[in-house]
Amino acid sequence: MVQSKKQRNLFLAFCLVPTFLMFSVFTLYPLFNGLYYSFFEWSGASSLAEFVGFDNYKRLLNDEIIPLTILHDYFLVVTKVIGIMILATFFAVALTQMKIKEAPFYRIVFFFPNIMSVVVIGILWMFIYNPSLGLVNSGLEFIGLESWTRPWLGSEDWALPSLVLPSVWAGIGLFMLMLMGGISNISKSYYEAAEIDGATEWQQFWKVTLPLIWPQIKISILYIIITTLNGSFIIVQVMTKGGPNNSTHVMGSYLYEQAFVKYNFGYGATIGVMILILSLITVLIMQFFMRREKVEY
Amino acid sequence: MTIWRKQSAWFMLVAFLVLVLAACAPGAGSEDTSSESEGSDSEGSSESGGDGEISGELEIQYFVGGYGDSWWKEVIGDFKEKYPDVTITEHAGPNINEEMRSRWVSDDPPDVVYIDGAGSSETQMVEDGQLMNLTEWMNGIELEDGTPLNESFIVDPAKYDGDVYSLPLVFDTWGTWYDSAWFDEKGWDVPKDFPGFMDTMGQIKQEEDIAPFVTTGQYPYYFLRGMLYPAFGAAGGDELLNKVIKGEEGAWTSEPVLNVMKKVEQMQKEGYIDPGFGALNHTQSQMNFLMHDNAFIPVGFWLPNEMEKDTPEDFQYGFIPSPMQDEGEPYAIVPDLRPLAIAEKAENPEAAKAFVEFVFTKEYAKLFSEHTGAIMNLQGVDLASSEEVPQFLIEANKMINDPDQVQIYQKPHPMSSNLETPISNSLVSLMLGNITAEEFVEEAEKAASEYRSNLE
Repeated sequence: MVQSKKQRNLFLAFCLVPTFLMFSVFTLYPLFNGLYYSFFEWSGASSLAEFVGFDNYKRLLNDEIIPLTILHDYFLVVTKVIGIMILATFFAVALTQMKIKEAPFYRIVFFFPNIMSVVVIGILWMFIYNPSLGLVNSGLEFIGLESWTRPWLGSEDWALPSLVLPSVWAGIGLFMLMLMGGISNISKSYYEAAEIDGATEWQQFWKVTLPLIWPQIKISILYIIITTLNGSFIIVQVMTKGGPNNSTHVMGSYLYEQAFVKYNFGYGATIGVMILILSLITVLIMQFFMRREKVEY
Repeated sequence: MTIWRKQSAWFMLVAFLVLVLAACAPGAGSEDTSSESEGSDSEGSSESGGDGEISGELEIQYFVGGYGDSWWKEVIGDFKEKYPDVTITEHAGPNINEEMRSRWVSDDPPDVVYIDGAGSSETQMVEDGQLMNLTEWMNGIELEDGTPLNESFIVDPAKYDGDVYSLPLVFDTWGTWYDSAWFDEKGWDVPKDFPGFMDTMGQIKQEEDIAPFVTTGQYPYYFLRGMLYPAFGAAGGDELLNKVIKGEEGAWTSEPVLNVMKKVEQMQKEGYIDPGFGALNHTQSQMNFLMHDNAFIPVGFWLPNEMEKDTPEDFQYGFIPSPMQDEGEPYAIVPDLRPLAIAEKAENPEAAKAFVEFVFTKEYAKLFSEHTGAIMNLQGVDLASSEEVPQFLIEANKMINDPDQVQIYQKPHPMSSNLETPISNSLVSLMLGNITAEEFVEEAEKAASEYRSNLE
């Protein structure tokens, strides 16, 4: 059937216009509104808002807590990328290549945290870290490492590292599935050929599997970076509220504190703009570094 | 590969557009808001006085927390009987402050607001001009027995540059709780001053092998308001308390403040503060207290009501003002008031005033103690005659009214969260033993100076 040009355009409009309208109302409008309010001093709880130009941005540059929050965010990004990617790749390879009989069972077990709300995960891990009743400290005492027990989330040095474990645990499943999808697309004949050539399993992993699932790995890493920069807020807010003494504040939780606890909504919006810019820069840089020609054998 | 390039080019374009538009936006918008704010200043304040009929719709916003809402229901029911022409709309609940925020932002607030709970801040509301100036109106009100209202408060209303914007309804106070049944059984002394406090804690630590003191590290202001304010009051009176809360220059580094902080440092060094407190929220810390993981906790009067369902049967709430004062001095308390206020832009200010006046009676004050286990901010209410008022409250009430035992110190207004948050953060650090008292006062002084510079 031949479509007239008009029909085609009508169809395209039918598909695109509603989406674009939704996008404008629910994404563009809040985005610009946030930018707009970053130039105001506003408590966020009244109609009084005073235009202050770049004062909020000056304040941002002089705020001693901001560099800490950025550092904490990137600490989480780096540890999560490393932790999740290593474990997810390991599990994906193990479940697809090793011919384990219970593979479907493990797949469900590893994916399970992904269907739980992050809030639930946070509360669950708060109990695990509880200094007197928690699994971690009781476990350490049980194996005789009493000197290692500590109030994990209540310590200025250990609270942030303690947040990494639940974040990694919660993230593995999804990326494991993505990588498994990639691995199962690799034709068996490559492995057979490699085996005939005398390649060990280790060599097969490095020379065959890894290059061929590189696109999936790349997307996974980018996805972890973006979700961490935008979403680490939830786990921090649930588990530590940024404390003790700002030692776990990430940019998002600090934004929340400024905007909704200390009634500096304008300044909070400024922090939001900073998060947007930093996320964009990070993603662009990562794109650049992970450029690698697509491999086809 | 090329697809990614193309996408990132789009990305850059969008990002660029965003920035360009952002630069244009405020010029257009600033005019709107400035004219809005001018409007809000001129309205409302001229509508006072007048003896018109009380009728129409009256909107009341009240937070429902540890005190429950049964008292409100009864009072509002009585008000409806007295003023049948008024239809009352209640906005109530534990999240009501968040739920009503958009109404306040759009200048369409309820008429009467009870300011309490998370997400509400009296200082913010006064700073933003959301509350009606009640100074003159309040001076004209009398109780049933003819005494003027402004002479009947236990604690006077907060004053902002001499003006009153809210009437303190609930008299609550922070203090230190213990299980009096447990203390009787073990023969521990209830502390009367700071040395006594340290002795008792030392004894408990030795006998029970627990850290005797706990508080919530997620909300460090529990310790600030519950332990430090009374300590500052005892050490330097209203004057010191005033300076500290306003963040005046040199207040936090002053000698009496440093001495108080040294006491906290001492508590930490002796291992009396639970080292796990940093991660606990208020409910967890209160649960640990009820389970005898700890022996002392600073909370307000609402504790028994809040933990009613989790309290073990043989547990008996005992309350003392936080014993941070030097040897031989009376206890100090700093009341924490939950005020009732009228919105500057109330649509029915006459009915709102009638309601506020209606609430401040001795009858409702007694009823309040029966319903909530706290005290309403009126003098001369006979609590002991009622059987429904909890025992600890009758004793606390007696103690509070005896100046030989307890000195009441008043803070000028609640501390702004812009000052309270950084100070609370350093406080956690001190209580974990990561900084010294000297370092703490330096950090607090710095926070105060930043707070002052942001006010200008």
